[in-house]
Parts: sequence; structure tokens; C-alpha cells
Amino acid sequence: MKNIFEIKHLTLHYGNLLALKDVNLTIKEHSVTAFIGPSGCGKSTLLRCLNRMNDLIPECKIEGQIIIDEQDIQNDKISVVDLRTKVGMVFQKPNPFPMSIYENVAYGLRCQGIKDKKALDEAVETSLKKAALWNEVQDRLKENAYKLSGGQQQRLCIARAIAMEPEVILMDEPTSALDPIATAKIEELINDLKKEYTIIIVTHSMQQAARISDDTAFFLLGEVIEFNPTKQLFHVPQDKRTEDYITGRFG
Amino acid sequence: MMKKRLFKDKVLNGLTFFTSGISVLVLFAIFFFIFQKGYSTLSLDMLSNNYWSVNYNLAIPESSQSVYTYPSIESGESFSSKYGIAFKDDFSPDKKALIVVSYVDPASPFKLLTDLSAGPNQGQVIPIQLGMNIEKIVYTNTLGVDRSAGVIFKQNASELVNILDTQATKLLSTYTQTEGGGIKGSLIATLYLILISLAIAMPLGIFSAIYLTEYAAKNKTSAFIRSSIELLTGVPSIIYGLMGMVVLYPITTLFKVSGPSVLLGGLTLSIILLPTIIRTTEEALKVVPEHFRSASLSLGANYSQTIFKVVLPSAVPGILTGILLSVGRVIGESAALIYTMGTFVNDSPSVTRGGTSLAVQIWSIMSGEQPNFALASAISIIILGIVLFINISIKLLARRFAKTW
Amino acid sequence: MTNITADQKKKMYQRKRVTDDVMRMIFKSSAILASSMIFIIILFILQKGLMPFLPNYKYGQVDIIQFLFGTTWRQDSAIYGLGFIVINTLVSAFGALLISLPFSILTALFIAKIAPKKLAIFMKTIVELLASIPSVVYGVFAAGYIVTMVKNLGSMLNISTAGGSSLMAVIILLAIMIFPTMTSITITAIGAVPSDLEDASLALGATVTQTNFKVVLQSAKSGIFAGVILGLGRAFGEATAVSMIAGNKLYGPTTNLFDITRTLTSTMLAGLKETIGLDYDIRYSVGIVLMATILISNLLVNYVKKHVGSR
Repeated sequence: MKNIFEIKHLTLHYGNLLALKDVNLTIKEHSVTAFIGPSGCGKSTLLRCLNRMNDLIPECKIEGQIIIDEQDIQNDKISVVDLRTKVGMVFQKPNPFPMSIYENVAYGLRCQGIKDKKALDEAVETSLKKAALWNEVQDRLKENAYKLSGGQQQRLCIARAIAMEPEVILMDEPTSALDPIATAKIEELINDLKKEYTIIIVTHSMQQAARISDDTAFFLLGEVIEFNPTKQLFHVPQDKRTEDYITGRFG
Repeated sequence: MMKKRLFKDKVLNGLTFFTSGISVLVLFAIFFFIFQKGYSTLSLDMLSNNYWSVNYNLAIPESSQSVYTYPSIESGESFSSKYGIAFKDDFSPDKKALIVVSYVDPASPFKLLTDLSAGPNQGQVIPIQLGMNIEKIVYTNTLGVDRSAGVIFKQNASELVNILDTQATKLLSTYTQTEGGGIKGSLIATLYLILISLAIAMPLGIFSAIYLTEYAAKNKTSAFIRSSIELLTGVPSIIYGLMGMVVLYPITTLFKVSGPSVLLGGLTLSIILLPTIIRTTEEALKVVPEHFRSASLSLGANYSQTIFKVVLPSAVPGILTGILLSVGRVIGESAALIYTMGTFVNDSPSVTRGGTSLAVQIWSIMSGEQPNFALASAISIIILGIVLFINISIKLLARRFAKTW
Repeated sequence: MTNITADQKKKMYQRKRVTDDVMRMIFKSSAILASSMIFIIILFILQKGLMPFLPNYKYGQVDIIQFLFGTTWRQDSAIYGLGFIVINTLVSAFGALLISLPFSILTALFIAKIAPKKLAIFMKTIVELLASIPSVVYGVFAAGYIVTMVKNLGSMLNISTAGGSSLMAVIILLAIMIFPTMTSITITAIGAVPSDLEDASLALGATVTQTNFKVVLQSAKSGIFAGVILGLGRAFGEATAVSMIAGNKLYGPTTNLFDITRTLTSTMLAGLKETIGLDYDIRYSVGIVLMATILISNLLVNYVKKHVGSR
């Protein structure tokens, strides 16, 4: 299986604060990789490096390489805008735009300059179907997105990201704001999505990581302590700190 | 596709720079225009003079010296060595020629002019002022005939001085006109307005704010009271003028006032100021930490004591802000005062008579047949200066007291 | 403390209670008085303004239909037709809105999102300064500068103007005057847009500018409309500055930009120095129409706001 992301010796500082220390990871294509670990230890920070959302934070300094499709995305010649169409992101709290459901999904495509109504209609339908939301909204595409429930809104955000036809979907604790039923629906969705996309998910719930991911990386204080296939990490952890975390001794 | 997008982005961004630039230009154009038109009229004289010129017919006594000197004479001045007075040519705002008094020797007979007009002031010494316009001087000439000279005979300053020194054996009387175009009256009236309106709006507003923040429960009634007060901010000030004449005028008649008056203007303004004072006081009260109140109450103070001794003093910066904003509003207000105070410039304003504030004087000057741009702009400079000062004070106040907690 | 008898203590507490009750009443009455002002205003102006239309009006009853729909207003001949004046007022206020709103939105976006911090603070000060200039000073500027500009423009195009006093001058003046209000409110509205919406847009591959124009402005819509309402209210109610440059045409309505015009407020101020009787009282009736106009346009803008939904 091909490697989608190669992260080499990644170190990140917020001003004087060291947030990520010498991270080395390879993410495999069409897999679900989970980042787990206690709060504030760099999981989300690393995730945001992968689509260069950390650019928005002024005091952020990054060293090391992040390679996707044989190119280091830290390179200034890379178009950040293009990168983000290749690497999509779903956030912790569902954040649909104050527009109709249709316009939410079509948003990214419109920004790319696509105006043809037929093309947009098709893309919207396909994305909503892949996000398992089409059946629930097909009659009310023009309604405001805020009328949907929390779980539906999150699936809408996933559809919105899918519409860009990305290679990777980053998910930053996508179910932490949702109820158990909505959570289950999204976990099911992730299982389907990995056939077409590569998914990296930051999660606070070890059970969720154990349920849905193929590989898991355990973070502690900005370092990757262990990165292994999920079953191995949870049943036979190689590092004592990993074992302490998954048995609940801290975090 | 990407190039087109970047281009569109650049255009849109450029537009925002453009509109912001235009707004800067407009502001500077306004300041520049006002300054340019009014700067030369701005002077201490303007601040202390009356607006209306007063005409005097004055008797000139005997000269005590035969020769006067004026060592520091300036170019443009013509000095009469016989009578110790210097004149200068000048123009009124409506371009009429004037002969203006520019220097008077302390021993000159012109220092002891007495009023000739019949009435209670007859015989009173009228002090000559620099800037007075000499319409004419009546004198006895060398042939013993009474003649006149002055600006109404189309003469200028040096010609007048020449006649006085060479042809006049005795000076009899003079028709003079005080310099007008001053704003003393409006300055005083504006001060009265500020005092009256704040005297009413402050207690009323502060007490209302106290009720709304400290006493009122969060129910429909208090929400209703709040929105009724907020609605007042949407009323155009000219409507307040109408309201004042109808609602508040009867109150002024209790004080034996008839017609528009400073009192009525002040009353009307106090209503206009209410929402501002209530809003800023409420905000200031809300910021006072709850534990101040609890501490006071637990020491045995009652609610009123707590409010007046603990809460209000902590809210003083916010209340001061409200006062500053109100003063700015009073100075800038025009439409409401035009109705309730009148548009006739009053040089010795009193609370029971009409008059003009600085802003209304501008209106009065500009709405005549020949608008006096120079004076209007000069007053505008003063108003803008005060408003600027108030804005800076508010900012400094906010910064100083934001550090307290 | 130990020397105070139980009886003295009781009296002290009672006094404190009474003071509290009295003060509470004073505070409450102040608030009630303040909140009743708006109703007093409306009531009394309604009363005085409706009087000329009643049969026993002392200066002769005025026909209300003629008043509301007339096209001529002559003080000297006691003809009071307000209809055309209402149209003039609408034309000038909405005309000013048309010019000022895009400037407001773009400048607010610049200050809130695009400008570097120091430039943003500078621009904010500029807007605050513009907001603090009193109406009369704007009037002096308009009468001296804007009017001259219009006159020159007119002579360049071979159109004669009444020295520059014109509808165009009124619209330009009002546009300048309502700009700072709308801009300030829009800046606040833009600042209130949650940053996670911007994050979502950027994560989808939109540029910063696209995010600003497509998402931020859209989310700030209700604030922008609030600014529109306030700006329109100011445009309708502005009296002193407008009356200095309107020209006070006797009939109409005026749609020619270079022609003189007359608004509700300029009518209320015209010739105020020497008026009595009907001519004075009728201004109250005009006042009622002014307030009604503001109210109706507020409702209109609210209606538009609800229906200019997502594309």
C-alpha cells in the first residue's frame, strides 16, 4: 500500500513553547489513522499542520518535512489553497455556513470557479450520498443548514469536504459534540469513506480509536511515543507510557 | 482558473483599500475646508465680542495734550498726532469698507467719550474699543464751520487722519459702531444649556439606570422599559424640537417665560441626553463586581447606602464618559434648539430668554441672505476642537480605568 | 456598638428600611418617567399635528387628502401639499443609502479583516471622527464645498443649477453623513462572526478574500441590516445640514439631480424665523409623516432582511 503522508522530523514551536518534537510518521493510503493521547499534547496541532491551517497562527514556527505526493508541503512554492482541496478537514464543532444545504456543499466548488449548474447539482448529490445524508435532505436542499440536527450538520460538513474530491480527510474530534446515536452514524460513515479516502482522526476516546482505526499514534507532550497497528497498540503496547494511558492510569 | 481567482481577489481587496481611502479624503476635505475658511476670523476678539454691532453717538471732550506720539506704529496704520488715535482700513464680512480704531493713546480725548443719545445712558463714559468702526467724526474746521469726515464719506484711514490733523480745530462728536461678529453670547448660552440639561438628565438618568441594573427583575416589564428608552435614540432631533414646544413649553410658563428660551432648550436637551446617560451608567454599574455589593450588605449597610457609597463611586468613570458624550451632544445639537430656543443671536443671554447655542448661531448665520462663511467656519473650528477634545478624553478615560480591574 | 440599646437599634433598622423603600421608589419612578417619554412624544405630536385636519381648527381646516398627496407647497398662499415632499425625501434618503452602503461595507471589511493592525486603528479613528462632526458643520461644508462642486459639474455638462443647491448635493451630503454610522455597526457585526466559520472556509480551499466576501459578509448580514436601518433613519431625519443646501422647491417631486429639492425636514425648518398660526402648526403634521416614513421604511428593511436569504 502506498504511503500518502510522510512526516519527517517535524518540530513545531508556538513562540517559545515547544508543541511538537521530532515527529516521524507515515500514513498509509485508504486507512484510518487515529491520534490519541491526553489533552494538549499535540494531536490537533499535528493535524492542523497537514493542511497548513497553522499558517493562520502568527507565532508558529515549523521545522521538518511533511511530504504528500512527493512534495514537501512546507515548501513556499506550494499553493496552500490547492493543498487544502487535496487535504480536507472536518472540525470538532459542526460549522456549516449560514446558507442553504446545497450552497454549503457547493461552496468549495464555487470558490474554484465552477459555475455550471449541472456539474454542481451532480457534485452536491454525490457528496451528500457519500456522506450518508442525501436521503434525509434531498427534498430540502434549499433550506438553511442550521435547521439540521447536530449529527446531520456534521455529516453536512463531511459532505462539504468530500465535494472537493480530496485524497485525505482530516477529522479533529468530529464526534465529541454529538450524541451517541449521531456518533455511531459517523463512525459507520468513516468505515465506508476509507475505501475512497485516507482518514486521519484525532480522538479523545480510546474506544472510538479502537473501533474504527487501522493504525494508532499515541502522543504525549508533543512526541509520538508509539505508532502501530491499532490492534497491536491496544493489546500489546510496546511502551510503558502507552500502556499506562490505555489502562486509564492518567489522561 | 487560479489566475482568474487571484485577479478577482486582488480587485476586491483593492476596492476595500479604495473606499477606505476615499473616506480619509472626505474627512480631510471637511477639516481643510472649514479650517481654511475660518482660520483668519478666529481670534480672542471673536470669542469675547458681541454678535450684533452697537451704534453709538458719542461726544468728544477737549484734548489734554497738544501732541501725541505712537512709536510702535505699524504699516497700514494712520496716526493722528493731534488727538492720539490711530486708524486702519478694514472690510466687514459683507465686504463693506470700514475705518477701524487700531490704537488709542492713554491720554487721548477718545478715552473719555460720553454717550450723546437721549436715555438712561446719556453722559456715561463709553470706553473706546479697538476694532470699533468710525462712521463719521463731526468737527469744527479752520473756518469755524462744522463738517464731518469718516468712512460714510468714502474716505479711508489716512485721509481721515489728515483731515483731523490739518483741518479740525475742535472735535465735537463721533458716530461709531462696535465690532460685531462675536460669539460671546452663544458661548454663554451653550454653557447654560449644558448645565441645565445635565442637571436634569443626570439624576433622572442615573436613577433610572440604578433601577434597571440593581432592582429590576429580568421580566417583561423591565425589558419593556429598556426598549422604550432605547426607542428614544431613533427619534430625529427635529422631532424633539416639536415635542419641546408642545410638551415642555407649559413647564417654562410656570417660570414666567414666554416664547422660546434657554430654559426650554435645556429641558428638551435633557430628554435627548437621557438614553445616552442611562446606557453608559448601566454599563458602568454592570461592571462593578458583585462582591463589592455583597461585602457592603454583609457589613449591615442597607441597599441605598450600598449603592451610593460603594457601587456608584466605582461606576464614576463610566458615568463621566456619559457626561462627556452628553456635552458633545449638546454642543452639536441644532434642530431641536432651533425650535425651542430660537434663532436670534442674543448677546446677553439669560435662562428665561431665547438665544443661540454655538451650533444654532452657525445655522442663523448661514440661513440669512448672505451666509457668512468665514464666521460660520470659525465657530465650526471651535466646535470641532471641543468635540475632538471630548473624544480624546473619553478614550483616555477608558484606558486609565480599564486597568482598575 | 455595645452602648446602643435594643430599642435604638430597632429604630435604626427601621429608618434604614424606610430609606431603602423611599429610594427604591425614586429609582423606579425615574425609570418609568424615562420610559414614558417616547409615548409622550408620539402622543403630543400626533395630537397637535392632527389638529389642522379637524373641522373646528381655528385657522381653517386643511384638507387631509390634499395634504398627503399634493404636489405644491407654498407658505404664502397657504397651499400645503406634502405628497411630493415625501417622494423627494425617499429619493434622497435611498439615493444616499445606495451610494453609502457599498462604501460602508467595503471600508468596514477593510478595517475589520484586511488592514494591518495599526492601519485598522487609524481608519477606525477616521470613522469615529466623521461620526462626531455635528450636523451644522456638515452643513457649512456642504454649502461651501459640495454645492460648488455640483455647480461646476453642472456648468461642465451645460446644465444650469441654482448655484449648486440641488438633489445631488443633498444625496452626497447624506451619503457622507450616514457612512460612519453604518460602517461602525458593520465593523462590530464582522467582528462577531465566529472564527470557526472562517476556518471551515479556508479548509475547503477558499482564499482569504473569498472567505471574507462569501462567508464573513454573509454571516454579518443581520448586523449590516441593523446599520442600514440606523443609517436610513439618520438620512430621513437630518434637518439642519440638508436645509442649508436643498433649495426648497415649491412643487415637485424632484427627480432631476441638478434641480433644487425639498425634504420633510427642510420643510419643517424653512422660514421658521417668522411663522405663526397654520404655517407653524402644519410642521407638526409634517413631523407625523416623518415619523411614519421612518417606521414604514424600518419595517420594509426588516422584511427585505428576512427574504434576502441564502442564495
